[in-house]
Amino acid sequence: MVEVVFGSKIMQLLIAFILVSTFMILGSTRLYSCVRAFGIQSFLLACVAGIVAYSTGKYDIYIVALLTLIIKSAVIPYIFIYIIREIKVKKEIELYVNISPSLIIGGTLVVISYYLIRSISIISELSSLALSASMSLVSIGLFIMISRKKALMQMLGILIMENGLFLGAISLTNGMPLLVELGIFFDVLIGVLIMGILIFRINKTFESIDTDLLKNLIG
Amino acid sequence: MIAQIIFQLFIIIALAPLLSGIMKKVKAFFQIRKGPGVLQPYYDILKLLQKDSVVSTNVSWIFHAAPIVSFVAVLAAGLLIPIYITQLSLGFAGDLIAVIYLFALARFFTALASLDAGSSFGGMGGSREMFIASLVEPALMLSIFAVALNVGSTNLGFISQTVSGLGFDAVSPYQILAFVALFIIAIAETGRIPVDNPATHLELTMIHEAMILEYSGKQLAIVELGAMIKQLLIYSLLANIFFPWGIATGGAGALAMVFAILVYVIKIIIIGITMAVVETSTAKWRLFRLPELMSISLMLSFLAIVAFIIVKGG
Repeated sequence: MVEVVFGSKIMQLLIAFILVSTFMILGSTRLYSCVRAFGIQSFLLACVAGIVAYSTGKYDIYIVALLTLIIKSAVIPYIFIYIIREIKVKKEIELYVNISPSLIIGGTLVVISYYLIRSISIISELSSLALSASMSLVSIGLFIMISRKKALMQMLGILIMENGLFLGAISLTNGMPLLVELGIFFDVLIGVLIMGILIFRINKTFESIDTDLLKNLIG
Repeated sequence: MIAQIIFQLFIIIALAPLLSGIMKKVKAFFQIRKGPGVLQPYYDILKLLQKDSVVSTNVSWIFHAAPIVSFVAVLAAGLLIPIYITQLSLGFAGDLIAVIYLFALARFFTALASLDAGSSFGGMGGSREMFIASLVEPALMLSIFAVALNVGSTNLGFISQTVSGLGFDAVSPYQILAFVALFIIAIAETGRIPVDNPATHLELTMIHEAMILEYSGKQLAIVELGAMIKQLLIYSLLANIFFPWGIATGGAGALAMVFAILVYVIKIIIIGITMAVVETSTAKWRLFRLPELMSISLMLSFLAIVAFIIVKGG
């Protein structure tokens, strides 16, 4: 954590923007803008990884940054848009919790995660910001998963949680071993593909990707 | 001191119609129209000032008092906001909370007057204005508080002086978040397109225009000028709290003053053009979707404060 001071200011800005992009997902009712916000979030995450790589001088983190850029901010949003086009879902998201209350809940989650992180004594202010941001990303991702009806949004929620874990890992440990990172990326990609196929199946069986209908019995 | 107060009032009154004219011209440019000249708002106000008012026989004194009270409240707010110099002569009299409530006073009297004439449009406009105001005010306060926390004072002149002294160190997550939040608020406060359309008299969409529908002649001139000044002041808040570089501090010479005024005019024009671009690139929102926009702004300013506490360690 010695060298990261170089990009400390930029890191703070990037992390704040990552939080904002999460709120963009939380605050919009259209699928496309949610996917776009996720793409932006992953791009910012790649920038964070790039700065960490630059300040530590480790080449394998460059690879991680590049992989984030390609897989998370290009391939996965593309898969989302492909699914949306193929099964012609309605572009509006249906919610269990309305936009304004969910924004407020999101804000509360940020505060709660900050207080949780505060009980761990960390000296550097940057890592406390990064850790609380990563914790809030995880909890907001979870909240998105339980408060949105569309299966696509639940997929997006789990990806946000993954992004949060990634942010925490990269800013705290200056990058895990490359093999672990590669494994995670592979996991995420395959996970998205499998979830995509599952969504196709749900759509075929129920004529909709509303997970509310999954509770109904079908003869 | 008196001279400075008069000069600041003069600048505010002189620049406000120009800003309106420039924004109208930019909007016309994007709609591929020629549009009225930049000086048109001055001619409009001069023309209105020469005409007599037609007033309904049913109205009470509130209808006559409201334009004056609103106008004076907005002007008084203008004396508490740094325009070209951070040492405000009336800085001792109030801080950003006073500014917010002076705006609220102006809005309250306009809404009262809209009810006074008893026309259905007036009541509708007044109720919508109050609906939006109840959402805007907390967000406005929170977003400026985020900056005030950073500086450690609620005096707007002091905030602007400190931020300009910080230079590029002032660019921080909370500052940017608060800026975006205040930008959304500025759209709502000045009645720009996602919230209100200043160019229409369509009964379904108008808010501010519905409230002042009963006014004519001199009173209308005062109301319109007040609205333009309020717009200028809110853009000044944006310019001089978040980008105060170039503003004159106390004891500056005449040359520095002139330079500060020039910089101020350029900043205001840039913000006006940005606002006009935002306005042309979005569609008007349904009234009942506005709470979403406002809660986004509220959340951004809330995040700004949380980010400040996290970074500085509360």
